[in-house]
Amino acid sequence: MKNKEVSMDRIKEYLSSKLWLSVVIAIIVLCVVFSILSPAFLQWSNFQAVLVQSSITGIMAVGLCFVIMTGGIDISIGAILLLSATVFAYTVNGTESFMLAFLASLSTATLAGVLNGVLVYYFKMAPMITTLATYNIYNGIALHISKTENVPIDRGYTFLGNGRIANIPVPLMILLAITLIGAYLLSHTRFGTFVRAVGDSQVSATESNLPTRRTIVSAYTLAGFTAGLAGVLLISRTAGLQNSLGVGTEFTCIAAVVLGGTALSGGSGSVVGSVFGAVFLILIDNGLNLLQASPFIYDAVRGIVLLAAVSVDRMSTARQAKTLLEQKALRIGSSIIKQVKKTAQA
Amino acid sequence: MSETNQIELNKRKYGTFAGDFLKSYPTVPIILIMIIGFSLTTRNFLTAGTIRTMMAVNTVSLIAAIGETFVLLTGGIDLSVSTVISASAVISATLMEMTGANILVGILASVIVGLIFGTINGVLIGYGRMTPFITTMDTNLIARGIAFILSTDGRGVKASRELVKFGFKSFMGIPLFTLIGLFLVLVFSILLKQTLWGRKVILTGSNPTAAKYSGINTARTEMSVYVLSGLLAGIAGFISIINLGAGIPGVGDKLLLIIIAAVVLGGTSMTGGEGSVLRTLIGIVLLAVLTQGLDRLHVEFYDQFIILGLLIFLGNSLSIRITTKSSKAMH
Repeated sequence: MKNKEVSMDRIKEYLSSKLWLSVVIAIIVLCVVFSILSPAFLQWSNFQAVLVQSSITGIMAVGLCFVIMTGGIDISIGAILLLSATVFAYTVNGTESFMLAFLASLSTATLAGVLNGVLVYYFKMAPMITTLATYNIYNGIALHISKTENVPIDRGYTFLGNGRIANIPVPLMILLAITLIGAYLLSHTRFGTFVRAVGDSQVSATESNLPTRRTIVSAYTLAGFTAGLAGVLLISRTAGLQNSLGVGTEFTCIAAVVLGGTALSGGSGSVVGSVFGAVFLILIDNGLNLLQASPFIYDAVRGIVLLAAVSVDRMSTARQAKTLLEQKALRIGSSIIKQVKKTAQA
Repeated sequence: MSETNQIELNKRKYGTFAGDFLKSYPTVPIILIMIIGFSLTTRNFLTAGTIRTMMAVNTVSLIAAIGETFVLLTGGIDLSVSTVISASAVISATLMEMTGANILVGILASVIVGLIFGTINGVLIGYGRMTPFITTMDTNLIARGIAFILSTDGRGVKASRELVKFGFKSFMGIPLFTLIGLFLVLVFSILLKQTLWGRKVILTGSNPTAAKYSGINTARTEMSVYVLSGLLAGIAGFISIINLGAGIPGVGDKLLLIIIAAVVLGGTSMTGGEGSVLRTLIGIVLLAVLTQGLDRLHVEFYDQFIILGLLIFLGNSLSIRITTKSSKAMH
């Protein structure tokens, strides 16, 4: 009997240590609701479509997750996505070499990320303002290159977005790879520990001689790199550059990361959770699409569902913290009682 | 001898007037330089006509930016202002159309819409201890959704002829609705500087723990700034009907980043506790002069993005440098 209780406690403890648990529950609830409302929802092809669609947001969310864990924020990733897609379109049309275009756009995006990190670290401005400035700059450069014209690219270069290997869509494989790498970086390398330490308290991290500068710059670089990769995937899927590409993705990604259990104040978070958060957001769109809802309703539903999800999560963590505090108080209380009894006996 | 020493001491203690002015309003020289530059490079840069256009175009963002200033002062952020403007504009215009151009109904509707969104934000953030960024991002989506659902197929709702006429009325070359905006700047400037509530807002932003221990109900103070921000966004929505002649559901979409940029460029810090309403007015003027000048020089809008980005960066790092220096000198 006692053993059973212990194991239940262990399971509870294990589950509460997983930040992404609440978003998985939210995904299941959403799936149940949509499968009741629409028969087309519960089909393998539909799930595959959802996963492929969420791969772009998911990949970006993985990089952004690191930035948010350092206590920063990056709202320029949507602009980096557009910039990377623009560079890809023009290089692939100009040189007709996929590899060259791929490398060019990825290195542009990575460089943009490095610039973000350097500016955030050295100028001590709020990351939101720094990246607001670079958002404008990157967006401006991208539109300056394209002169806001649509640029089609040849179907032969869209393998990354539409191709399949062993009947598995390529974007999905890239998402899986990025998620695994991200999760490994976060929980099994020193870089991951540094990221969380810097997010907890930048001052303490600096005082304890951790490489704060390298950590912050690397986090923003990762965000830039993943945004660039997402840009190449997105333009491969749409087979053409449009100047509305990536508009608003930064906020979707931030929502995904937060839904996944990463605190905006930094210090703790989950890579896997961020990807689940992205899947959750795409599920809302997918369900509404299947229900043939008016496109004007999307925003309102997204907002309400997000608000509900975030506030339920907030309530549960608050309760958890409360019970933890109560347990601590009980423990302290009982130890005091023991002490008193001891002294009384003596 | 001693008298000159005293003057020197006073100077060191209180600073010179010009120095103080620069510390409080670090972006004013940039505006002056821009005005001189644009006047030299374009014809008739500053005429009564262009000034009037600049004022009319920027009043909506000015009014919303006042509320955003208070939110930033507490160390929070309100991302919902932009679409609350849209929701308020659409709902107010629709109700006015239904009641036969009853302006009072329109004003009431816009105020109530703003208050509702402000209260939702305020309760969730102040008492629910939710993160301002996420909460207001969600209410932003909800307000945008409501604006588009209520407008018939995403098109605007036309305003009555009287209201459009009111938009063209002006006093001494200043549009009447801009005067309303300037009046609000004055009122909230006084509220921030002269009232207990204003002190509470600043203290809550500069050190929440200290504020709590000195007996301030920080939850209530935080809630009040979001309610205020919602209210002012609602009023801004009504002003946008006057200015554009219709309640347009997409009116706020592009304003969010402009509003935040203006508040920050004026010299209000994102971390709370440092800033003023007048600075926000100056931030709005800065952006107004910049866009007007670049438009006159026929700079494409995407090149304006690049310049705006550089300006946000330079302006903010300048104001941070100046304010941290002055606070160091004070210690």
